[in-house]
Amino acid sequence: MEVGTLIWLVLFLPVLGFLVQAFFGGRVVRSQGVAGKKLMGTLAVLPIAISFVLGCIITAQLAQQPADARFSIHTLFSWIDILSLSIPFEVRVDPLSMTMVLIITGIGSLIHVYATGYMAEEKDYSRFFTYLNLFIAFMLILVLGNNLLLLFIGWEGVGLCSYLLIGFWYKDLANSRAANKAFIVNRIGDWGLTLGMFIIVALIASNIGKLGLDNVRFLSYDVILSAPVIEIFKANPGWTTAAALLLFVGAMGKSAQFPLYLWLPDAMAGPTPVSALIHAATMVTAGVVLLNRMNILFQLSPVASAVVCGVGAFTALFAALIAFGQTDIKKVLAYSTVSQLGFMFIACGAGAYWAGMFHVTTHAFFKALLFLGSGAVIHAMAHDQDMRNYGNLRKYLKITSATMIIGWLAIAGVSVWTFFGFAGFYSKEAILGAAFANEFASIGGINIGFYSACVGMFVALLTSFYMSRMTFMTFFGQEERWRLIPAGAHHDAQGHDDHSHDHGHTHAHHEAHDHGPDTHGFFYTDEELAAQHVGHDHDDHHHALDAEHEPHEVPPSMWVPLVVLAALSVAGGFLLYTNHMFEHWLYPGGQLAILGEIKAYPEWKTLLVALSTGAALGGIVLGWFFYGKKLPEREGWDLRRWSPFRRAAGQQFGYDKAMVDMSVEGGNQLATFSWKFLDSKGIDAIVNGVAGLAGQIGKLFGWAQTGFVRGYALLMLLGGVGLIGYLALVLFQSNGGPK
Amino acid sequence: MQDVPLFWYLALGLFMFTTGAVGVVVRRNPVVVFMCIELMLNAVNLTFLAFARYSPTLLPGMAESPQTWMTGQMMVIFVMAVAAAEVAVGLGIIMAIFRLRNQVDVDDMSALRG
Repeated sequence: MEVGTLIWLVLFLPVLGFLVQAFFGGRVVRSQGVAGKKLMGTLAVLPIAISFVLGCIITAQLAQQPADARFSIHTLFSWIDILSLSIPFEVRVDPLSMTMVLIITGIGSLIHVYATGYMAEEKDYSRFFTYLNLFIAFMLILVLGNNLLLLFIGWEGVGLCSYLLIGFWYKDLANSRAANKAFIVNRIGDWGLTLGMFIIVALIASNIGKLGLDNVRFLSYDVILSAPVIEIFKANPGWTTAAALLLFVGAMGKSAQFPLYLWLPDAMAGPTPVSALIHAATMVTAGVVLLNRMNILFQLSPVASAVVCGVGAFTALFAALIAFGQTDIKKVLAYSTVSQLGFMFIACGAGAYWAGMFHVTTHAFFKALLFLGSGAVIHAMAHDQDMRNYGNLRKYLKITSATMIIGWLAIAGVSVWTFFGFAGFYSKEAILGAAFANEFASIGGINIGFYSACVGMFVALLTSFYMSRMTFMTFFGQEERWRLIPAGAHHDAQGHDDHSHDHGHTHAHHEAHDHGPDTHGFFYTDEELAAQHVGHDHDDHHHALDAEHEPHEVPPSMWVPLVVLAALSVAGGFLLYTNHMFEHWLYPGGQLAILGEIKAYPEWKTLLVALSTGAALGGIVLGWFFYGKKLPEREGWDLRRWSPFRRAAGQQFGYDKAMVDMSVEGGNQLATFSWKFLDSKGIDAIVNGVAGLAGQIGKLFGWAQTGFVRGYALLMLLGGVGLIGYLALVLFQSNGGPK
Repeated sequence: MQDVPLFWYLALGLFMFTTGAVGVVVRRNPVVVFMCIELMLNAVNLTFLAFARYSPTLLPGMAESPQTWMTGQMMVIFVMAVAAAEVAVGLGIIMAIFRLRNQVDVDDMSALRG
C-alpha cells in the first residue's frame, strides 16, 4: 500500500483501539470477567502492534529512497483556514518522525503486553487501557504532525493522558495530588511553547512580503525551515534566540529539566507500566523531539544552545545526586530518567542533535526495561517499593534479575573498550564526545558545552554508582531483609518515617490497611473484597510483605517484554551506531543545515573513551564495595557523617519543598492579599462608594417623600392646575388679551 | 328640540371633576379613590363630547365629511379603554396589598417614605 494510506492507519489504529476500549471495554469486562479482560487486553495490544508493523513497512520504504528524498507530507483535511493563516491536518513522514513512531509503537506494544499481566487484578482494567491507547494516539500526533499546532495538540494530549494515568488510583489523595502537580507544572512549559509559536508566527507574518510564498502555512515545518524563512531568522537574531529559548521552556516542562522536573518523580504514583511508557520511554522525550525538529533555530542561536547545554548538565548532576537519597526503587529510576534526559539536552545544546535522539532511543530500551523490571520486583514483593526490604532477589526472580542486570549495565554504559558496548555506552559516548569537542554553544566566550561535558562525565560515574546501589540492594547480598519484618506485622514503622517528608509518595497500600490483606492500592470496597475472598484463594503476593513472604517469578506476559527489551539493550546501541547508521539516517551525511558537520570527538578521543569506560566501571566497582561487599561496615567507617547528605538528597535538597511551599503557600498569601486588600479595600471601596454617594444624594431630597399618599395626590392636583393655568394664561396673552 | 347650551355641559363637567378631585384627596379607602378617579375621567369625557358637538374641528388638510367631526368622540373611546386597563391593574394591586396586610388604607401605604 501507499505510504499515504499506511501512515493514516498507523495514526488512527490507536484511536480506534481507544474508542473500542472506551465504549465497550467496561461492559465486556463486567459481564465476562476474566475472559473479558483477556479479550480487551488483546484488543488493546493489537492496534499498537499493528501500528508498529505498519511503521516498520513505511520505514523500510523510506530507507530505500535516496537520502534527500526521504520525506513526504500527507494532508487529510484543512483544519484551520482563515484569511491569512492556513493550518491543515497534515502528517510528515521523515526519518525523525518514523524513528519516534517505531519507538512509541514498539516499546508501547511491549509495555501493553506487560500491562495485561501487571494489571490483571485491576478492577478498572479497560479504563487503564483506554488511557494507554489514547496516550499512544496523542504521542503519534505529536511526532507525526507537520506543524507546530498539531505538535501542540499532541503535547497537550499526552499531558492529559499523563494526568489521567498518574491519578489512575484516584481514590488515594496523594495520587490525585501527584496528577495535579504534573498537570500544573506542565502548564508552565506549555506557556513557553505557545509563546515561542507566537513569536515564530509573528516573525514570518511580518516579513511575508519577502517570502513570495503561495501559501501561508506559517506553522508547518516545511515553511518554517525553508531557506527564505531561515533568512528572516538570521536577520532577527534577538527574536530567534527568544523563540528558541521559549521553545526550550516548553521542552523543559515536558522533558523534566531542572526548574520544572518536579512532576516526574511524583508521577511514579501511577501504575508501573505507565511509569515505563510515559515517564521513561516516550512522553518525556517529546522535548528532545521538539529540539530536533526545530534544530535550525538553535543552530542560529549560540546563546540558546548554551542555555540548553547548561540546563541539561545541571539537571543531570542534580538528579543524579538526589537519586542517592532515595529508598523507593521507582524513585531511583525516576531520578535517573531526569538525569538521562539532561544528557539528551547536553547533546542537543552542543549541536549533536542526532546523539540526543540516539540517547532517546537507547534510553527507551533500557529505561523501559528497568521500569518494567522494577514493576516485576514490586509485583513479586507484595507491592512494597522500599529497597531496604529487598535483597538476594536473584535467587527467586531469575529472569527478572537477569534482564534488570542487563539494564543496569546498559544505563551505566559498560563496554569492552570500543569493540562492543551495551546500548547506553554508544549514546553517552556520542553525547560526551560532541560536547567536549563543542565550539559553538557558548555565552560570552565561555564554552558552556565543554563544561557541560565535564559535568556529564562526572554524572556518568554517579549514574553507574547509584544504579549499582539499586542493583546490589535489590538482587545481591545474602540477607533477605524482608525476613526481618515480623510475620503479621506491617512494615509501616520501618518504611514510613523515612517517607514522611515525601508528600507525593506512592505507597497506596500503606494508607489502605483497613481493607484487609488485599490492599495494594486497588481500592476494592469491603463488600467486593469479601466476595473475592470467597471467589478464589489468595496467592502469596497478595499479602503484605513479611517474614513468611516467598517471592515468585512473574507470569510470561510480564517477562517476555523484559527479555525483548534486554536483547535491545544489549545489541541496539551497537547495531544503530555502527557505520554512523543512526546519525546518517536522521541527518544525511552528518550535515546540519547551518553549522555543517560538527566535530564528533575532541582531539583526545582515546582518553575520552578511557575516561568514560573508567566512569562506568568505576561506578560499578564503587557500588560493589559500598553496597555489595558492605565495606564501610566491615571497616567500621562512621556512616553517620553521610546522613545529612543522604537526608538532603532524599528531600531533593529542599528544592521541591521550597517550590511547593512557594506556589501553594505563596499562592495562598497572594490570594489572601488580593482578597483582604485589593478586593475589599480597593474594588469594593469603589463600588460601595458609588452606591453610598447615590444614597447620600437621595437623602438630600428624601424629606419630600412623606409617605402620605393623599398629600402626593393633592400636590399633583395643585401642580396640574398650576401648570394648565399657566399655559392658559400664556395662550390667552399671546392671542392679544381679551377680545 | 332646543339644545341644552354648551355652558351647562361644562358646568356639569366642572362639578364632576371637582367632586372627583376632592374625593381623591380626602378619602382613605382606595376603592373610593378609584371611583373618584373614574368620576374625573368621565368629567373630562363629557367635556370632550360637548366640545365635539358644539365646535367641531376639522383635521388639517382633509375635506369636510362626517368622519372628520369625530375627533372628540374618538378621544373618549380612547380614554375609556385606558381607564379600563388602569382599573384592572389598580384593582389587582389593591387585592395584592389586601392579601398581604388584611386591610387597605391609603395612609398606611408609606413604605417608600424617604
